[in-house]
Amino acid sequence: MAKERAFRQAFPVKGGDFSRAGDVSCLIKNLLKEIGVPAPILRRLAIASYEAEMNIIMYAAEGTADLTVTPDEVRLVYSDRGPGIPDITLAMREGYSTATAEMRELGFGAGMGLPNIKKNADTFLLASEPGRGTRLEIAIRLNGRQL
Amino acid sequence: MSRESRHAVGINREKCVGCVHCLTACPTRAIRIRDDKAQILDELCIDCSECIRFCPHDAVDSHTTPFAELRAFAYKVALPATALYGQFGNDTRPNEILSALRRIGFDQVFELSTLCELHTAAVDEFLTAHRLPRPRISSTCPVVVRLIQKRFPSLCDLIVPIEPPREFAAKILRATLPGILKLRPEEIGIIHITPCPAKIVSINHPATMAKSYLDGAVSIRDLYPALRTALKEIDEKSLMRHLFPETVFSGLGLGWSLSGGETRGLKNHRIVAVAGVRDTIRVLDQVEAGLLKDVDYLECMVCPDGCVGGPLAVENRFVAKSRIQRQVHAAGERTALDRTELSSLYQKDFLSFQHAVVPDPVPLLDADPARAIEKAKLREEIRRRLPGKDCGACGAPDCRTLADDIVRGSAHPDDCPLAGKEKK
Repeated sequence: MAKERAFRQAFPVKGGDFSRAGDVSCLIKNLLKEIGVPAPILRRLAIASYEAEMNIIMYAAEGTADLTVTPDEVRLVYSDRGPGIPDITLAMREGYSTATAEMRELGFGAGMGLPNIKKNADTFLLASEPGRGTRLEIAIRLNGRQL
Repeated sequence: MSRESRHAVGINREKCVGCVHCLTACPTRAIRIRDDKAQILDELCIDCSECIRFCPHDAVDSHTTPFAELRAFAYKVALPATALYGQFGNDTRPNEILSALRRIGFDQVFELSTLCELHTAAVDEFLTAHRLPRPRISSTCPVVVRLIQKRFPSLCDLIVPIEPPREFAAKILRATLPGILKLRPEEIGIIHITPCPAKIVSINHPATMAKSYLDGAVSIRDLYPALRTALKEIDEKSLMRHLFPETVFSGLGLGWSLSGGETRGLKNHRIVAVAGVRDTIRVLDQVEAGLLKDVDYLECMVCPDGCVGGPLAVENRFVAKSRIQRQVHAAGERTALDRTELSSLYQKDFLSFQHAVVPDPVPLLDADPARAIEKAKLREEIRRRLPGKDCGACGAPDCRTLADDIVRGSAHPDDCPLAGKEKK
């Protein structure tokens, strides 16, 4: 117990389920509020986790969000079974998007998702195997608070 | 019961039978059943009144100002919410209702639709002057302000810092009436007539000023019988008064009690109107996730269909809404406002908050982050062991909340009557 001080929880994310979009990031956000994550950090987390969840919903068949919270940081690993990202450099470019017309009609696909996640996270690791899936790991430090 | 509580709703222990209706209806999970009676947890309640709506035993009281208490004032001024205009028969004109208020004992009645229009115009100026951030959120519904303070503290800065019409109406009267009437300020009672109990909280414990300009809020429900009788006794004099209408109504302000009414006049901005407490929570969650940035102004009303659906209104909200829509239609886009006067009030900050809305977050799991994380882990373990039926028999609205109460020390695993039975 003393060693393992982190809170861990895995949340399944279903691809294509736009009606539940944001539910997982909302659960994560509410948990972090109860732990006392300060508002400015909470907003960054809310934005980054929502965008990451949307990427799975928009492109993958299914995925999971693995949450780890320690007093020092919040770490989220999003892994999915999906098409993967053939060119990560291109995908990271602001405004670049492979969203379909349908997604754009729903207001998504402005090509700001990944850059926005990166902007709001302190750690950003993106790995992908085209045809297999994508793994996105982000971490946000909960600085300025003593234990 | 909840005498010293800051809230406008309280459980009537004589009438409460300890059932689970309010428990599950409460959107902030602020109710528990303890010793066979419902109990409202002060720090979680936002005064949305869902419990009043759902209680089948009329066991949730609202602590609005009793009409009889107004006798303490030498001069009584009524500021009725525009929702009042939809409460009476189809042909009852707003002017008749105002004059009925006078007949039941108010010395003076001031009409709010004009000030509603003033508010819209002030918001228009504010949104034009402040381009970022977006979306800005209306402060009109006091429950939304509480909800943001407690559940969405990071959104406090998005609330447009302009007082609602009832407050600056009272502010204007407070500044002018004592001189006109030659009375001391404390002899004049300025009273809101309200379809919702949350207004009394915003008067007794204002979120954005040291002291409210209003002296109380009487519910429409309490005044209804007397008003109805007064309206029936239409005499020749009141008929004649219609020929010289004493009050000018604003076409833009008349529809304020309907969802979307507040924003109807904001032609230069992108607006979204939300009604209902659960939908408001959903939309605020989206705002917190960085969505709706292409919206300039978000009108949120926690009552269904807007204030017209307030729990202390009498007429069913569909009928009331239809009547108000007809009044709005009849009044058209008629404006009652001089824009240059408004600008000068706005520039003088006459309509602004005294201070910003500050966060008042719900209690943390623990003040110490490491221990809070421990408790979150423990809560999850407990939740997994609970049956997941969300039956409410333990006194908490659902299993997750029971787990939460257990780690916070206010409940025990044995409280679950199904405990020990295998989770299906």
